[in-house]
Amino acid sequence: MNASLRLSVSSLRAHKRRFAGTFLAVFLGVAFLAGTLVMGDTLRAGFDTMFGNATSGTDAVVRSAEAITTPGESQGVREPVTTDLVRTVEQVPGVAAAVPDIQGAGQLVGANGKPIGGQGPPTLAGNWIDDPKLNPYELAEGRAPKRSGEVVVNRGTAEKGHLKIGDTTVLRTPDPVEVTVVGLATFGGEDGMAQVTFTGMTRADAEKYLTARPGEASTIQVRAGPGVSQRELVERLTRVLPQGVEAITGQESTEENTDMISSQFLSVFTTLLLVFSGIALLVATFSIHNTFAIVVAQRTRENALLRALGASRRQVTASTLTEASVVAVTASAVGIAGGIGVAAGLQALFPAIGFPFPEGDLVISALSMLLPLAVGVVVCLGSALLPAVRAGRTAPLAALRETAVDQSGASRVRAVTGAGLAALAVALTLTGVLVSPSLWLAATGAVLALGAFVVLGPVASTTAVRVLGGPLGRLRGVTGSLARRNALRSPRRTAATASALMIGVAVVSLFTVFGASLKATMDQTVSRSFAGDVAVSTPSFGAGGSGLSPRLAGVLQALPEVDTAVGLGRGVAEVDGKGRALTVTDPLALERTFDLGTVRGSLRGLGTDGIAITRTEAQKQGLTTGDRTRLTFTDGEKDTFTVRAVYGRSELAGDYVITRTAWAPHRTQDSDTLVAVSFKDGVSAGAGKAAVEKVAARYGHPEVQTRDEYAQSSAGGIDMMLTLVYALLALAVLIALLGIANTLTLAIHERTRELGLLRAVGQTRSQLRAMVRWESVLVAAFGTVGGLTLGAFLGWVLVKASDGTSDSTFAFAVPPLQLAVVTLVGLTAGALAGLRPARRAARLDVLRAIATE
Amino acid sequence: MTVTTASTRTLPAARVLDAVKVYGSGDTGVRALDGVSVDFPAGRFTAIMGPSGSGKSTLMHCAAGLDTLTEGASYIGDTDLGSLDDRRLTLLRRDRVGFVFQAFNLVPTLTVEENIRLPLDLAGGKGDPEWIDALIDVVGLRDRLRHRPAELSGGQQQRVAVARAFAGRPDVVFADEPTGNLDSRSGGEVLGLLGRTVRRTGRTVVMVTHDPVAAAHADEVVFLADGRLVDRMENPTADSVLDRMKALEASSGAAATSRTWTEGPV
Repeated sequence: MNASLRLSVSSLRAHKRRFAGTFLAVFLGVAFLAGTLVMGDTLRAGFDTMFGNATSGTDAVVRSAEAITTPGESQGVREPVTTDLVRTVEQVPGVAAAVPDIQGAGQLVGANGKPIGGQGPPTLAGNWIDDPKLNPYELAEGRAPKRSGEVVVNRGTAEKGHLKIGDTTVLRTPDPVEVTVVGLATFGGEDGMAQVTFTGMTRADAEKYLTARPGEASTIQVRAGPGVSQRELVERLTRVLPQGVEAITGQESTEENTDMISSQFLSVFTTLLLVFSGIALLVATFSIHNTFAIVVAQRTRENALLRALGASRRQVTASTLTEASVVAVTASAVGIAGGIGVAAGLQALFPAIGFPFPEGDLVISALSMLLPLAVGVVVCLGSALLPAVRAGRTAPLAALRETAVDQSGASRVRAVTGAGLAALAVALTLTGVLVSPSLWLAATGAVLALGAFVVLGPVASTTAVRVLGGPLGRLRGVTGSLARRNALRSPRRTAATASALMIGVAVVSLFTVFGASLKATMDQTVSRSFAGDVAVSTPSFGAGGSGLSPRLAGVLQALPEVDTAVGLGRGVAEVDGKGRALTVTDPLALERTFDLGTVRGSLRGLGTDGIAITRTEAQKQGLTTGDRTRLTFTDGEKDTFTVRAVYGRSELAGDYVITRTAWAPHRTQDSDTLVAVSFKDGVSAGAGKAAVEKVAARYGHPEVQTRDEYAQSSAGGIDMMLTLVYALLALAVLIALLGIANTLTLAIHERTRELGLLRAVGQTRSQLRAMVRWESVLVAAFGTVGGLTLGAFLGWVLVKASDGTSDSTFAFAVPPLQLAVVTLVGLTAGALAGLRPARRAARLDVLRAIATE
Repeated sequence: MTVTTASTRTLPAARVLDAVKVYGSGDTGVRALDGVSVDFPAGRFTAIMGPSGSGKSTLMHCAAGLDTLTEGASYIGDTDLGSLDDRRLTLLRRDRVGFVFQAFNLVPTLTVEENIRLPLDLAGGKGDPEWIDALIDVVGLRDRLRHRPAELSGGQQQRVAVARAFAGRPDVVFADEPTGNLDSRSGGEVLGLLGRTVRRTGRTVVMVTHDPVAAAHADEVVFLADGRLVDRMENPTADSVLDRMKALEASSGAAATSRTWTEGPV
């Protein structure tokens, strides 16, 4: 062992406690990262196996060749195929069986009257395929549906809705259908395909409720006879299939499905987790850097002695770096083990909360082991690099001076650099936000702003702590003012400690502000564009839910209380070569219940070949009233439409509006996403709402909401997202707190004699504890306030940048209550972080402390 | 073993009775104090002398309530320190005892004035403004009140410590080698200050020292050797103390070499 290695090892052994914080920071970051990677791989493999198992009996899938994909959707909409094709397919040599697969949206209502699922994953209904090899679902209990109204439900859905075999409930297709559960099914051996709900009905029921016309199916599932390969089967099928219809192998179909799950759910999920482990590691960087900086400062005399005795700069630097790498490698290795533990824990936890985590062993790839290890080591070594270099620069003479405590603070260079950086950041963001809207400029500015905060930290910390701690001296007397001065002692250290918390709090407040702004935006949208009295909708999110019965609007219109009831349906077509969502509705009624802004032309008489377009879309495509544009529907039909009206507001009404008659020939399963109702004059809100609710109850119990309620429920998804984000950010905040605790512990070690003196001249233990705790709170307060400022600024940038780069107008809102809670949490966390160091400081033996040389 | 001479006039400000202090246990145990009984009379400046390892610092620590005795009792006034818990001991130190240590007497973040007022501020009281004002003049630091300790010389720092020790009008001030880190001129100033304060204000000072010149500033010197009280001397001079010390070291010099606990200058 060479000299510097021996020094680092013995120093590590002697000061294990000092590195506990560093160890924990690296450990947590690496464990989270490794856990995310392992879980992602395991989930992906699990879904592969599950789909493989479920669809292994299907050798080929026949379907429409063309799909139209609208923005924001990963899976396109395909025109159904006619079930007549089944006979053609059956006659192809080598085909053992062919069955139509009819699929549509169908949301079951649970035993408690509440719809099951709908918050993200699709809620599907289809025909129960009797050929067990072609049916991805497998009957686990009960029997297949025989009579109309009988259904098989996947077990996960049944459990969630507390449905048993023999129970009768309602299936929203979206027309409410009364169904009886006769069987429970599994998918690839699991209780369901992730969170997707599935209801299998008889083929006749499926055709009746899930398709626009009988004789249509989404796809035809084909099984090959013995000795015919999938590829061969597809080739033979392709020869007989009409134009516009294609066949793909079962394997390709499975891959498409797993890809869809991966891209829709897994990628989003794992990316989110990776982002948060990144934030956690960034926060860890500050904590680790701080620890090493303090340790090096405390060891000045020791390092100076080494230099005086002839150690080279390089040797001193190397010995510090060696220490860092030992901590890094150990913590990362343990962190990887912890990550595997995290993944295993989640595997066990997911089924408990109703998410079928595919069974099977954890998939531990080399990448998900090596990457976190590398990241952990790089983060740790990178953070220790500067302190190590500083250690090497120790002058040999420092050995002779009094113990040098890190007194460095706000240098002029730092202040100037920071101010320059801040100015550049503000200039860039303002340009990116206000002058020429560009997300890139704004993002660059935001990153620079973060950098400016970090650079300016030590400069700002002195002023900030002085101001924040001002009342402390008055409130807590000498204890408070001692705490305040201790926090002021080393501005750089205080700033570095607070920076970790600052980043955590900044991200939290960024999301809080952005979430509140989104809510305000929705609120504003609804109150501005929705001119009706109540909205009827089925609250759902993502691909879930089945919408409303298209007949509901008509029935509501007939009520004596109702002036106008208009249903908004959804259609898909290619306009100008791109997939677009169409609003299918009665345009005249639309105008009465929604504020469409200025309308040029007329919504009257769109007929079968008229279309109304928003101004922004019209401008983009260079269209004005009277112009013609071509729409391509999923069935391949191309129709020319005349622009009859151009309207100003698209927020609720959508960008393209056509009539129901125009959409009818191309429709699939019909549903409305929203029915807007306005009451006649003189009808009270309560009476009107009650009347609407009574009717709606017969149509699968959709929600009937006043304008305010509707606005609030539209924002419900945001709260869910925020909760998840907060939970993930807790890790970063935890690491930041460890950093504060660690710095304090080291500072207390440094001040042993001073603390002993204070105790000797009469400071009680509780006064001493309070002093340390208040110092911790002050540092946390500095971090929290900085984080709030930075987060609010970044939130504003994000909102304004979104506003500038998208069509819809965004509102900016600062939620005072939530931000107050964030502040309170930050301060409480500071007090908590100070608990342990305070206790340790109070345990100090007075005599030993004053005798320490 | 007890030697009592001229200390029965009034109630002593501090005293120890049959004090025994053992560090460690069993065979490796070291008896730092081996049955010491001594009174520190009120209104007097007493020096504790003895060779290295004689137990003089231990005696002071135990008498001041910084350390606890293994056997025996120590009193401040008529308060038995052994009956107090940590909190009461702390309050006693704060309200009734003053300290001057060899070094590191001042809190670096506080100004001179704040350091002087520290025990009063910790108690949350205002103290006696006239008394403190007078103290500041006695120690001669009026023009330095807003300075930080790091801006003062060693002698000035010790003078601040002396002012701090007397700020709360304590029953007794304990000084542990207060001049150990000072040159002889600054040391002389500090010792003179201690003596003047005792004589002018009637306060009590107990000082541990190994320096006969320092001990000569006291009214009385008690001599310790091997954890026992061996002699007392009234109105000492540097020469008489030095002679006595030489005699002591000749008789028990060997014992001092094996002591390892922290005591006095090394």
